[in-house]
Amino acid sequence: MFEKLETYLEEISHFLSGREEREEILSEIRSHILEKAEQEFGEATEATLAKVIAAYGPARRVAEKYSEGRPIIAPAFKRYLFRYTALLFAFHFVLTVAAVVFKKSFLMFPLVYVPCMGPFEALFYLPTAFLFDLGVVTLVLYLITQSKKEVKLPWPRFGVDLDEVKTSGRTIGRVIGLVAMTALTGTALYFYVQYRTIFFVNLNFTQHRPIFTPEAGQWYSLILIGLWALGTFSLAAKLVTPSPWVDAVEKALSLVLLGLAFRQPFDTALPVHLPLPEGLVRVIKLSLIITLLIICVFVAVDLIKALVRIGRRHLAK
Amino acid sequence: MDPETSHFETEMNRGFLHILVLAMLEKDMYGYSMVRTIRDLGYEVEENTLYPLLRRLEKNRWVKSKWDVSEDRPRKFYGITAAGRGLRTELLGIWKKQDQILKHILEEISHV
Repeated sequence: MFEKLETYLEEISHFLSGREEREEILSEIRSHILEKAEQEFGEATEATLAKVIAAYGPARRVAEKYSEGRPIIAPAFKRYLFRYTALLFAFHFVLTVAAVVFKKSFLMFPLVYVPCMGPFEALFYLPTAFLFDLGVVTLVLYLITQSKKEVKLPWPRFGVDLDEVKTSGRTIGRVIGLVAMTALTGTALYFYVQYRTIFFVNLNFTQHRPIFTPEAGQWYSLILIGLWALGTFSLAAKLVTPSPWVDAVEKALSLVLLGLAFRQPFDTALPVHLPLPEGLVRVIKLSLIITLLIICVFVAVDLIKALVRIGRRHLAK
Repeated sequence: MDPETSHFETEMNRGFLHILVLAMLEKDMYGYSMVRTIRDLGYEVEENTLYPLLRRLEKNRWVKSKWDVSEDRPRKFYGITAAGRGLRTELLGIWKKQDQILKHILEEISHV
């Protein structure tokens, strides 16, 4: 028993699959290394074996050579990993938003169970859902790859192909956007400092009338200013770096802020003295919820696009 | 050798090694003896490449193997099968055709 040799074989063994095959491979490598040490250095000792082992190569590389031509997921399917995950996550996301808004659980046996939850729970639930979706798609593609069958995977054509999303690269447009967003955020901040809200019914600021109650007005104003500030920072960052992480971080934080908007009860958001018919108030409340939801969906789609770009970049590497 | 050339050499070796191994195994041999024989012919083959290659050939039944335990050290001997001979003939045919094409092109450009 040579300690170095056994340690080396043990290391290779960690990276090999299939017990029977593993034993056979290790026996052959052991025989080869011992014979080479004897033939080329006169005898097999710890010192001579160390030289032969070094020439044989790192354990992981040795093991990987046995897996060549046997990928976990076929290269042709790798782009589908991100395509299908994005699609599945979009579906999961819509169900999550529905679970939050309608306060209901959704069960689609056996894969999807979205429990009834609040906006905060949803923010923690979504990353887990994304990992689950990635896992399910990986498993399916793994099984298809291992079946070695000729399978043509379907992919629907949308107005925008998520897989061919490109960043718009106009610097002048970004600079104009940055100036506009800075002005917008600054103005909003000024109004907030002056009046504790940025939502008004009239434009007469000597006798201003806010749309929302003071508490709700503050809450929504801060969220909107936060969203604009995020957009401003994102535009500024894009002038310095083309990294898709800028978009991903901006959209993720935007989703958090939008999630916070749902925290304010809509029933008490509008002041009682507002001279509006009851039916119209109901319509305004519903419109507010629907608008927020639509914004959430758009932001989520942008987030998925950014994640697809990040995934594609890693794949290209 | 610069890394770029080394990369191409690895690519070219992949096919060449298949033909070489199938040609050598007309006579039963074990891994280390093959490495030595190839080296004596002035060519280098990485040991950690040869064994996985032999294993893949064996899985596809182009070579067969058996352990010889008659000596102190057990050795795994490989030999070519009838299917392996068929594959070797086909691969040699491809290689000869490629060689002819290359010679023809090189001859043409030498006259330019």
